[in-house]
Amino acid sequence: MTDGNASRDAAVIERSFDAPPDLIWRMWTEPEHFKAWYGPDGAAVPVAKMDVRVGGSRLVCLEMDTPGGPAQMWFTGEYREVVENERLVYTESVSDENGNVLPPSDMGLPSGHPATTEVTVELQDLGGRTRMVLTHAGIPAGSPGAAGWAMALAKLADRIEAQGAR
Amino acid sequence: MTLMTGEDRLSETFAALASSTRRAILARLAEGEANVNELAEPFDMTLPAISKHIKVLERAGLIVRGQRAQYRPCTLEPAPLEEISAWAEQYRPVWEARFDRMDDYLTQLRSQRKTGEHDD
Repeated sequence: MTDGNASRDAAVIERSFDAPPDLIWRMWTEPEHFKAWYGPDGAAVPVAKMDVRVGGSRLVCLEMDTPGGPAQMWFTGEYREVVENERLVYTESVSDENGNVLPPSDMGLPSGHPATTEVTVELQDLGGRTRMVLTHAGIPAGSPGAAGWAMALAKLADRIEAQGAR
Repeated sequence: MTLMTGEDRLSETFAALASSTRRAILARLAEGEANVNELAEPFDMTLPAISKHIKVLERAGLIVRGQRAQYRPCTLEPAPLEEISAWAEQYRPVWEARFDRMDDYLTQLRSQRKTGEHDD
C-alpha cells in the first residue's frame, strides 16, 4: 500500500470529482443516479430502494449476465448516519429480494467474509469540486459502531508500524 | 494452537476485534509486552474478566503469551491484522471502477445540461 495513513481493517479510497458536493450526494442517495454508476462492469442495477434517513433501509439488486442467464445478487442494509452533502454511513449485507439477510457463503463469497460491512462516504467542498473519502469496513454481525473500531484499529495499525513490529 | 483455514481465522479476528476492551488491550500491547495485571490496570474489571478477553485474543492469534509460570507476558501478533487488510483490499478495485464510472456519468450529465462552466 502506498497511502501513508491507510488503515488495515478497511478499504479507504479518496477521489476528487469535478462536481459540487450536492451533486455527488445525489449520486449516492437518488436511485436514478445511483443505478448509473454503481453496478460493476457488465452488471446492471435494476433495483435500488433507498430510504435515506437514520434507521431507514436500503435494498439494491445487481444483475449480471452469466452463460446460464442473468444472475441477481441482492444487498440490504440500514442508514446509520445521514448528514446531507457531507456524510453518509450505511451497512450492507447479502440478502434475498425481500431484504432477508443471507449468509455470505450463499452467494459464493468466502466464508470468512464478514456478514455485515459498513460503508462511509465523506464529502468535502473544494469550491465547486468535491473530495470524497470512501471507507468500506468489515464489521462482525450485530456489532454496533463499526466506524469506531475502524478508527481505533487504524490507530493501532499506525502504532504497530511505528514500532516496526515484525 | 489449532490450525484454522485463512477464512475461519479471518472471521475469528473480526469477532475478537468487536470489543472495545479487547482493542484497548491490543493498543496497550502495541507499546510493548505486558502481563495480565498490567493489562487490567486501566479497566474497572475483575482479573478473571480481563483474562477472558485475553483468551479470546489468544485464540484469534492476535496475541501470544509467554510460558514462564509466574509472569506470562502477552505480546502482540500482527499477522491476523494483516489478513484483515488483505480482505479489505479486495474491495478497492471494485470501488475504483465504480468511481471511474461515476466520473464518466458526471461528465455525461454536464454535457447534457450544457452548463457552459466547463473548466477541464
